[in-house]
Amino acid sequence: MKCIRFLIGALLLVIMAARTPAGAQTIDEIVSRGSINIGVLVDLPPYGILNDKQEPDGYDIDVAKLLGSYLGVKVNLVQLTSPNRIPFLLTNKVDLIVATFGITPERAKSVMFSIPYSAIENVVFAPKGKTITKLDDLRGLRVGVPRGTVQDVLLSKSLGSAVKISRFDDDPSTYQALLAGQVDAIAETGLTGDLFYAQHPEGNIERKFILLQQPNGITMRKDQWSLHQWVDTFVYFTKNDGELDAFYQKWFKKPLPNLPTF
Amino acid sequence: MRHFNLGDFDYIVLAARWTVLLSLYGLLTGGVIGVGIALLRTSRSVAGRVFAIGYIRLFQGTPLLLQLFLVFFGADMLGLPLGAEMSAVLGFGLNAGAFLGEIWRGAIQSVPVGQVEAARALGLGYFPRMLRVVLPQALRIAIPPTVGFVVNMIKSTSLAAIIGFVELTRAGQQINNATFRPFLIFGLVAVIYFILCWPLTIASRRLETRLGAAYQR
Repeated sequence: MKCIRFLIGALLLVIMAARTPAGAQTIDEIVSRGSINIGVLVDLPPYGILNDKQEPDGYDIDVAKLLGSYLGVKVNLVQLTSPNRIPFLLTNKVDLIVATFGITPERAKSVMFSIPYSAIENVVFAPKGKTITKLDDLRGLRVGVPRGTVQDVLLSKSLGSAVKISRFDDDPSTYQALLAGQVDAIAETGLTGDLFYAQHPEGNIERKFILLQQPNGITMRKDQWSLHQWVDTFVYFTKNDGELDAFYQKWFKKPLPNLPTF
Repeated sequence: MRHFNLGDFDYIVLAARWTVLLSLYGLLTGGVIGVGIALLRTSRSVAGRVFAIGYIRLFQGTPLLLQLFLVFFGADMLGLPLGAEMSAVLGFGLNAGAFLGEIWRGAIQSVPVGQVEAARALGLGYFPRMLRVVLPQALRIAIPPTVGFVVNMIKSTSLAAIIGFVELTRAGQQINNATFRPFLIFGLVAVIYFILCWPLTIASRRLETRLGAAYQR
C-alpha cells in the first residue's frame, strides 16, 4: 500500500509536469459558462457527509453552495476522496475544492489556497485512566491516526520513533481502533470524536489535549489568480456578515473559531 | 453523526448494480482483447507474439490501481475526457485482456500437439482448425481459471473508487463515515459480494462437469 501511494505520488508529479498549459481560468469564464464544478469530501463528518437522503451535506457543502449562489452560477458537486483531491483539481476535472484542505507550505507548492474558511481541531483521545496532558506523554504508546493527515505528519516529526504510530485508512477505523483497544490513544477530529465516544460510553474514553488547530483553505490551481482573488473576497465577506458562523453553529454547535488570515 | 436508515440500506444495495455493470462491461472488453492476445501469443508470427508478450508483461506487471489512474487522468491530458465510467470500463478491460489472454493461451497450448497435427494432416486451415478442433478442447481446460479470475475481478472493482466511481465498497464506506456502524455496513457489503460471486462458482462446476462428460471413462 505504501508503495502504491508512492507511485501515485510520482505519477502526480508527471501529470503536473506534463499538463499542457490550458490557459489560466478566469472568473469570467466560470460566470459565462453558468456552472462551477466544486470538489467536496463526503466522508469527513460533519464537514462533508452523505445525509439521511444519501445526498452530500455538511459544512463544506453549505459553503460550496453559498459560493455558487454568490457567483450566480449552478454548483455541480463532485465527490472526491482525500487521496484524489489534487489530481482532480490539476486535470481540470473540478474548478476548485472545498474539502477541509489544511493549508501547508508543502501543499502550496502544487496548489493555491484561499484565506481560511474553517478550522479543524485535532485532539488526542484516550481512556479515562491514562494520564496524558501533553505531547511528551505519548512516548512509548501506540497512537492511531488516519493516514497522511496533518496529525500523522506532526506526530512522526516531533516524536519520531519514540511513538508507535498506527495509520488507518479513514476516520471511522481510527475511532474504532481505540474502542477495540488496538491502540492506546488516537489523534483525531475533536468534535466527531466527542460524538462517537458519547455513543459508546462503555469505552470510558475522553479528550486529553488539543494537538493543533488546523485552518483550512478553499483550494485552486496555481494559475487561477482572478478566481483566487474572488474566493478570498467571498471568504472575507461571508466571515464578516456572519454566514460562515451560522453554518458553523449549524454543524458544530459552536461559534466560528478565530481564523488567522494571510 | 446520524443513524443508519432504510435509505442507506437501499443506497448500498443499489450501488451493487455499478459493481455488476462495471464487471460485466470490463469482462466483455477484456474478453475480446483476451481472445486476440491469446491467438497472437500462440501464433506463428514473431511480431504478433512479441506484441502479445509485451502487452501481458505491461498489464500484469503494474498495479491495477495505477492503470485506472493512468487511463482516467491520462486520457484527460491527451484531450480525451472519458469520464469515470468509461475510464473504469477501459481500465478493467485492458487489464482483464492481459490476464484472460494468458489464461487462454495456456489452455490452447495444453491441447495435445497431436490434435493440431492431425487437423493439419486432414488439410484444415488455421480458422477451421482453431474453431473446430483446438478451442472446444481448450474451453474445458480454461473454465476453472477463468471463473477464478472473474470472481477476483468482481471484488477488485472496488479499486475504481480512486477515480470517483461509487460502487459497492465505496458506497459502504460513505455510509459508514456518516453513521459509524462498521460491522453492520461492511457485513452487508460482504454478503452482497458473496451473493454475486457464489453462483459463478456453482455455474463453473456445472459447466465443467457437462463439458467434461465426453472425457469420462
